[in-house]
Amino acid sequence: MSEEIVIQTRALSKVYRDFWGRQKVRALKALDLEVHRGEVFGLLGPNGSGKTTTIKLILGLLFPTEGEALVFGKSATDVGKNERLGYLPEESYLYRFLNAEETLDFYARLFDMSPDVRKERVDALIKQVGLDKARKRPLQEYSKGMSRRIGLAQALINDPDLILLDEPTSGLDPIGTREMKDMILRLKDEGKTVVMCSHLLADVQDVCDRIAILHQGELKELDRVDKLLTVADVTQIRARGLSKECQNEIRDVISRHSGELMEMDNPTTTLEELFLSIVRDSEARPGRRAKVGASETVADEG
Amino acid sequence: MVLERDILPYFQWLLGSEDSVGALLQFVLVMLGFGLLALIVGYLVAAARHGLLRGGDVVFQTVTSAFRDLFQISPRRVWALSVLAVKEAWRRRVVVVLLVFFVILLFAGWFLKTDAQNPGRLYISFVLTATTYLVLGIALLLSAFSLPGDFKAKTIYTVVTKPVRAGEIILGRIIGFTIIGTAMLVVMAVCSYIFVDRSLDHTHRVEETGLKRTAASDDEYGYLGRTSLDAYHRHDVELNADQQGEALSNHSHTHSIEYDGSTHRVSGAEGVMQARVPQWGKLRYLDRQGVEQARGINVGNEWSYRGFIAGNTQSAAIWTFGNVDESNDPDGEGLPIGLTVRVFRTHKGIIGKRIPGGIQIRNPETGVQSQLELFDALDDKVYEYTIPRKLTSTGDAEIDLFEDLVSSKGQVEISVHCLAGGQYFGFAQADCYLRLPDASPVLNFAKVYLSIWVQMVIVTSIGVAISALVSGPVAMLFTVSFILLGFFKDTFVDIAHGPEYGGGPVESLYRLVTQMNMMSKIESGVVAAIIQAIDSVLEAFMWSVAQVLPDFSAFSTVAFAASGFDVPGDKVLQDLTTCLAYVVGLAVLGYFLLRTREVAR
Ligand SMILES: Nc1ncnc2c1ncn2[C@@H]1O[C@H](COP(=O)(O)OP(=O)(O)OP(=O)(O)O)[C@@H](O)[C@H]1O
Ligand SMILES: [Mg+2]
Repeated sequence: MSEEIVIQTRALSKVYRDFWGRQKVRALKALDLEVHRGEVFGLLGPNGSGKTTTIKLILGLLFPTEGEALVFGKSATDVGKNERLGYLPEESYLYRFLNAEETLDFYARLFDMSPDVRKERVDALIKQVGLDKARKRPLQEYSKGMSRRIGLAQALINDPDLILLDEPTSGLDPIGTREMKDMILRLKDEGKTVVMCSHLLADVQDVCDRIAILHQGELKELDRVDKLLTVADVTQIRARGLSKECQNEIRDVISRHSGELMEMDNPTTTLEELFLSIVRDSEARPGRRAKVGASETVADEG
Repeated sequence: MVLERDILPYFQWLLGSEDSVGALLQFVLVMLGFGLLALIVGYLVAAARHGLLRGGDVVFQTVTSAFRDLFQISPRRVWALSVLAVKEAWRRRVVVVLLVFFVILLFAGWFLKTDAQNPGRLYISFVLTATTYLVLGIALLLSAFSLPGDFKAKTIYTVVTKPVRAGEIILGRIIGFTIIGTAMLVVMAVCSYIFVDRSLDHTHRVEETGLKRTAASDDEYGYLGRTSLDAYHRHDVELNADQQGEALSNHSHTHSIEYDGSTHRVSGAEGVMQARVPQWGKLRYLDRQGVEQARGINVGNEWSYRGFIAGNTQSAAIWTFGNVDESNDPDGEGLPIGLTVRVFRTHKGIIGKRIPGGIQIRNPETGVQSQLELFDALDDKVYEYTIPRKLTSTGDAEIDLFEDLVSSKGQVEISVHCLAGGQYFGFAQADCYLRLPDASPVLNFAKVYLSIWVQMVIVTSIGVAISALVSGPVAMLFTVSFILLGFFKDTFVDIAHGPEYGGGPVESLYRLVTQMNMMSKIESGVVAAIIQAIDSVLEAFMWSVAQVLPDFSAFSTVAFAASGFDVPGDKVLQDLTTCLAYVVGLAVLGYFLLRTREVAR
């Protein structure tokens, strides 16, 4: 099991300091995470909750104030881990004077790929992200969504085993969003690990296996999406062919098992509701791991 | 031409001799010293951040992984980053520099006068100096702002999250900017060569009416005369019996003259750009009483580069040349020498009048000496003379230059005397030389550009290395101060090592504050001991800093080309090696700065 762990963080903390070493922001507080191979892991949280900080710590772009992050069992600051890793930053941090082809070729060279492989890979990726028509245009002319696409292509250039996506769907049109989600699922089918952070909850709900919810740098919730969204103590029944009497006496009918029971399960809440309630709870009682189950959510609502 | 330091043969310079430390060893020592210092500082910082034990571990990890990274440098990645740097420079429109360069050439064409004594010198030194500053400036801007730009635009995020080693980023930048700088230098070199060549080209007419027939005997005769006044000067003309000949080098160049039966055709200027190849010797002086001295008389100059000899006394300047044989005389006419004389007058006499001097050749082994050959010296002029094969000794015997005056070890002495009482001649070691066959001026021009290239690469490396840590403007400031300090390298070393009057920095400050005389002794005691202890640490530090400061004035070879000398191959090799050392040292520095930097701060 241990070799299945792709990312591990232990008490990972980050304090941003100013030039004089004075503390500015505690962006991340003692985060413990494990991401397993082959899963799609979502980092959720409101703006400024430390999602990007977590990703940067995992990439070694930031040094942890305390704790450590391991990627493929190596320290996050080890350059070697980058061989099998792809990263899509939250904005387009690419050289604006290069065109799409040159950009991808440049990053491919950084992976020491031979010319043939490079050419093939660059060509395939440009087609895959739908930039075939704009391949010769410099990136400074690109729209936001186009930049996003070339950013994604750049992250996939080495066919990575682990892909870190910082808000992958921001700036994409509905079709682009759909494609992005399909792609994430396809990557998952290929056995790759995807870590994404986003506040577009619908996207997260659609693709993520597990999610972690951060608020003000603290981990509030961490579990499987289906589990989190299941309301445990409420039962939902759908039945057919019941008479009016039966419908009136539905509780009796059920207790006596006399109807044709077609479906009987727990209702699910939406991720949006869960998210809002966790944030609300965290603000009311800061510093504690959220205790809100989905049941309470519904109970509160009802 | 001034040559303050001897140019040692390359391998002697590199490996050292009995009495001097070789450059290689010096490099290793400096690297070790600074490496040790960096380790200590690194450990202190790490220990402060992570605690004593963990700090040690962090430092150890950093150093070991540095060695691992060294062996994982991939040429393909470095090349990709170099190409990126070239594209970046191109996008930042560095070619505009070429436009500036052409404007400078235009202005030079308009404002530089060709009526100077030696217009070639003026033109060459102006154009080359302008090129140097221009290229160093652009190297500074490109290198200091490149990496900080990447940090600012955060493009560095997508680069360092690839399997790129910090060293590759540094090397890629250095190589990329070197490539673009080289391309610009090539363009500038070609243009400035053509410019100098064209600007100084001119021709004359022979003044037919002034031609006089002279005759040594009835069969041997020729013509003397002069040319017309063009380009602010005229030449004396010497023609043979067929009226072919040349306009003499009164103005550091010649013209050849052809005669087609009716008119003389004067060619364009020849030898405006020269590459004289000097063979230097060792200089010593005799004082008024004829006693040997290491230094000449000081006539009151701050600059002790030249030593003077007094006129009409036993005083003399004596050069000893080694490795002299018949190969020094390829055309069998004798031994060509060049001599630059600085004249110091204690009484005016007639201004512009030449001061008589004499040259003697001596065999250091047998003591055989030629008779005094007289010459007239003008201040700061190169006096060129060929010592004939057949000479008369002081004992009135017929002697042969190579057989009687060159010792069995190939040594010959040339001594120079001043013959006018009360006047002085000043010489430095480089002022007298045996003239070997000239080298190609084009090649020499290329060598000067190579020395500009060396300076450019060093500036680029400094800029790139420093900018790995700080922002663009700070990196630029730092690089500039590094260069400026380099100019004062000698002062630095003097303070650290030399005869210091008034002690080191702290002691001097103490004297300043207490208004104490420079010479009087500080009372010994605890305070004095502390002051001197701090000073010795400071001095050691200054000495080490001085060792790594690049001396750009010493790299420059503009003076060689301007005064018409070939840049010695040994110097070119030494400078290239030094350049390599800087690139290596600075790349290592840049690597650690970049590696220990938090990229996403
Ligand atoms: N370079 C920095 N210097 C100082 N503080 C920073 C820095 N980067 C981030 N922070 C702070 O750290 C906290 C977490 O920021 P982070 O970028 O990780 O949030 P996020 O969850 O990615 O937000 P968003 O959804 O808006 O992208 C914020 O309070 C932010 O102000
Ligand atoms: Mg973010």
